[in-house]
Amino acid sequence: MGLNQDKDLIDDQGPGFVVTSIDKLVNWAKSGSVWPVTFGLACCAIEMMHSGASRYDTDRFGVVYRPSPRQSDVMIVAGTLVNKMAPALRKVYDQMPEPKWVISMGSCANGGGYYHHSYSVVRGCDQIIPVDIYVPGCPPTAEALINGIIELKNKIKKEESIIRG
Amino acid sequence: MDNQTLINCLKDKLVGFDIQYSESNDSVTIEVNKTNIVEICKILKSESSLLFNMLIDVCAIDYLAYGDADWKTLDATNTGFSRAVKKTIIPDPDEHYDEKRFGIFYQLLSIENNIRLSISTFTGSDNPPTIDSVNGIWNSANWFEREAFDLMGIQFKGHPDLRRILTDYGFIGHPFRKDFPTNGNLEVIYDEDQEKVIYKPVSITTRPGVPRIIRKDK
Repeated sequence: MGLNQDKDLIDDQGPGFVVTSIDKLVNWAKSGSVWPVTFGLACCAIEMMHSGASRYDTDRFGVVYRPSPRQSDVMIVAGTLVNKMAPALRKVYDQMPEPKWVISMGSCANGGGYYHHSYSVVRGCDQIIPVDIYVPGCPPTAEALINGIIELKNKIKKEESIIRG
Repeated sequence: MDNQTLINCLKDKLVGFDIQYSESNDSVTIEVNKTNIVEICKILKSESSLLFNMLIDVCAIDYLAYGDADWKTLDATNTGFSRAVKKTIIPDPDEHYDEKRFGIFYQLLSIENNIRLSISTFTGSDNPPTIDSVNGIWNSANWFEREAFDLMGIQFKGHPDLRRILTDYGFIGHPFRKDFPTNGNLEVIYDEDQEKVIYKPVSITTRPGVPRIIRKDK
């Protein structure tokens, strides 16, 4: 009985100030260095390159493209995912260390898009890997991708990594 | 060399073969019998007045159900497209051997003489459709013929390495054939229990591939 009362008390007051502050700090650090693994599959990758190049410059958000999944936090699936590529995509995703996120960029990665009725295309990369942010467009502009990255950062900031519900 | 000169030159060099010559869109096309494609190509490459020493492309076309459209929009009403649907009936290829079902087309270029030539030939009377490989004459035929084999299922006899080139590992069927369903037979999905990407039967159905257009000019 007493235990239950204590638990209710904690639930009422919420977790302590120290824990929430550490969470905020951790999330600030995580969202400030979202390093994507470059997984360009088709024309969306060109827009992804634009967003990374000097005009839009995602470096200012702490988004630095990495050549290896082992150094990455987020995978940007940019383009048409075909059946032949699906096991490779999953392997690269599995090689990324936790915590990891996925941005699905463009109609093809979101749901097959133009090639939805094709014999060789995966109807959405969420058939293969869990997706956090869907960026619509064919292809999405560099601004749209940057908006997706900012949305992902907002999502990361709301995560609770110390307190696990 | 203009086209008429080229045709006369070809007629001169390719004596004894059954060839139809035609000239359209400023280019010369010869239609040859598939049995002597290799002999003709050898002559075209080696003859000093021709010297077709570059093979630009090899491609194949499936003429099964050629000219049939799913949507007959001319006699359709302005509303209710479904009334205009006429499902294309694909003949059963196992019963229906058409010796002109598959067209195979070669594009040649002579750099020395600055002339181009198209060769067309047909196969399909046997199952699988076969033709002799020209890989021994032009090395560039290697991947072109692999592609035609992969997508159309044409067997190139004498090809050194006739494997699939584009489709998935273990793919069954030849997707560019007209009797192949557009959305395929299998789709992939990640299986959480087996922790790998697995195949399962396709979950969507086919639909007409012809756009729904009302023609205003009639």
